[in-house]
Amino acid sequence: MIQNTKCECGHQNPVNTVLCESCGKPLIEDQSMEPLEMRYDGVVRRSQRGTKSVIDVVWSFFSSVKVAIYLIFLTLCGASLGTIYPQENTFINIDPATYYPETYGTMGEIYYTLGLSHTYDSWWFKLLLIMIGTSLVICSLDRVLPLYKALSKQKIRKHERFISRQKIVYTGEIKGIQDEKEAEKWVEEFSAILKKKFYRVTTDGSALLAEKNRFSRWGPYINHIGLIIFLLAVLLRIIVPGWYMEQYMDVLDGDTVQVPGTNYYVENEGFTVEYYSEDELAEETIEKGKVIPELFETKAVLYECVENCNDPFMEPILEEVTRHPIQVNKPLKYNGLLIYQMGYEETPLLRSVNATLKGRESGEEYGQFVLEMDNPKSNYEVGEYQLELVSYYPDFKFENGVAGTKSSDPNTPAFIFSITGPGLPDEGEINMYFPIPQHKVIYQEDQVNEAAGSTLVIDVGSMQDVDFSIYTSFLSARKDTILPMIWVGAAISMIGLIMGFYWNHRRIWIRMDGKQLLLGAHSNKNWFGLRKEVALALEKQGIKVEPKSLENEVKKS
Amino acid sequence: MKKNKKWIQYAILILFVVIAGVTLFSSVLSNEDIPEVGKIAPDFTLGGLDGQVYRLSDFAGQPVIVNFWGTFCEPCVREMPAIEDIYKKYQSKDVVVLGVNLNGEPEVTVRSFVNQVGVTFPILLDNRVVSEQYDVKYYPTTFFIDSKGKIIEKKIGEMNESYLIQTVNKLLAEKE
Repeated sequence: MIQNTKCECGHQNPVNTVLCESCGKPLIEDQSMEPLEMRYDGVVRRSQRGTKSVIDVVWSFFSSVKVAIYLIFLTLCGASLGTIYPQENTFINIDPATYYPETYGTMGEIYYTLGLSHTYDSWWFKLLLIMIGTSLVICSLDRVLPLYKALSKQKIRKHERFISRQKIVYTGEIKGIQDEKEAEKWVEEFSAILKKKFYRVTTDGSALLAEKNRFSRWGPYINHIGLIIFLLAVLLRIIVPGWYMEQYMDVLDGDTVQVPGTNYYVENEGFTVEYYSEDELAEETIEKGKVIPELFETKAVLYECVENCNDPFMEPILEEVTRHPIQVNKPLKYNGLLIYQMGYEETPLLRSVNATLKGRESGEEYGQFVLEMDNPKSNYEVGEYQLELVSYYPDFKFENGVAGTKSSDPNTPAFIFSITGPGLPDEGEINMYFPIPQHKVIYQEDQVNEAAGSTLVIDVGSMQDVDFSIYTSFLSARKDTILPMIWVGAAISMIGLIMGFYWNHRRIWIRMDGKQLLLGAHSNKNWFGLRKEVALALEKQGIKVEPKSLENEVKKS
Repeated sequence: MKKNKKWIQYAILILFVVIAGVTLFSSVLSNEDIPEVGKIAPDFTLGGLDGQVYRLSDFAGQPVIVNFWGTFCEPCVREMPAIEDIYKKYQSKDVVVLGVNLNGEPEVTVRSFVNQVGVTFPILLDNRVVSEQYDVKYYPTTFFIDSKGKIIEKKIGEMNESYLIQTVNKLLAEKE
């Protein structure tokens, strides 16, 4: 069917246009008098044009608000699935394949198998987000371009049917108007009144168009631009390596640890925790025997590696860049890198001892040496004696006559030295040493050494010679280069919302046909305010009307 | 004018297809980093107990067995003599054995153990970097890499000599 799309005013409209682009005459012929559908000023949108190629079908799919709502709904449903059980990335050290079934049973296994334990990284979640982005862009473009075109070339003298079918309508005869000249004068006066109300007024003979706050129509689209920037930022965060990083570190009191994947090192110079005193806590909490920390803090120093960074045999040379006491929500900040306090754990571990070499019989002290538990040196010089560390078991065990270690943590450190020096055999004297007193007893250090014929004793004088670390501080390092873009997106989106919410686009059309005044007005919201404004303006011209009576009474059937 | 619009339409749709493609591809790619059977073994550089630097890519063209172990891990300790045997038997056939020590154990501990057991193949010291790169969660874990750098077998758990011989023969067969 070929549709005649030429309006009687002579304007050629595209197929499916609702209101003539030029004079506003309703093109869909019906005899009803109910208010017109004014969306996008009745202009046809790209997605509604007649011919449909494949690309047009895709285009109109994404331009549909209904589709957008379904997409948002699906995304929300998907996102809520991710909240059933904790996500994988909220744990620091687990194997998800075993963690979920063990903790949540069969449901946990299903959850893990379906990949819901990493919902927000899954391909379908990302695809949904991208589809929302596509829909945002296409929906906006499909509407904003025709709307812009329609609003920037408005005809002043509109068709009678266009004006009389607005939601606010006034019609009446003006007494004393004889000819066109007087009609134009009346319109001129009315225009002056509207101008005082901050309307932009254009006249065409005895026809008038007054308009204000057109910019509020762009609010939703500016909001969409903000959202698109926001979504793009989130995507870039995923795609560009190095723009977003999150790493976890366990730093023992006194240790220095490399921030994984960077050239930075963090030292925990001291960890402190303050607990609430009993009178600050609720009765029940005390009964349960809980202690609740009030404040915990890591005195952190950040270093940057300047030399030997990736050399497996050289100690990296570090340069201090900044220091800061890290508390919860008070991170260390340096060059876009943020180090947060995540938690802590009581992990009493021996770090080093300042040991003394003594004679077994005489008790004479020959000297002291520092023995580290983490990675001890293999040779020591104490007075006239040379100590060679033959074996070191950080977590000593003795099973089936064989010595070994249970783990690599120094829980039960045991050292075997070969000592040479004055009065000792050339091949060395073997000496076993347990730094922690109770282990000396359990593994019978003295008896073993005496049986081996050792004449020396290694011992620690006082508690001052022992370096103990009580706490491990859990830190997280984050880097988010794209964060400013997210803020910009959010700010633009907010500006758009404010534009659309706090202002409304008001238009008033007038045409005089002889004595007959025909006035129509349209707003996108706050009709009450517009009615009042129109009534006041008419009153100044000597036409008394109740604001309420301006409402176009024809109800939608 | 009309043609121009069509062009914009195409451009926008293509842009979104590209964004979707890149995003999905990058998420697939991030999974690819985890070494699995059939994938190329990622390169690493570690210092050995003997003071030399070992780089996996230096052994390109040779089959490599990478064994992750620790002195604290009993099955690792038990399988050590079997690996040593294989190393000696297949050295002449260019098979490389690398023992990567886990968890940053103290050097003295590792050295005394190696001397005690009589391990002669290179022992590399790893401070949780390569074990994380190779996603090693259970000990021992052994990777069998063919001469083209592809992972042929990933074995979690203790190995005996017959298993080792069988798998090494498979590696050698790949070479030909």
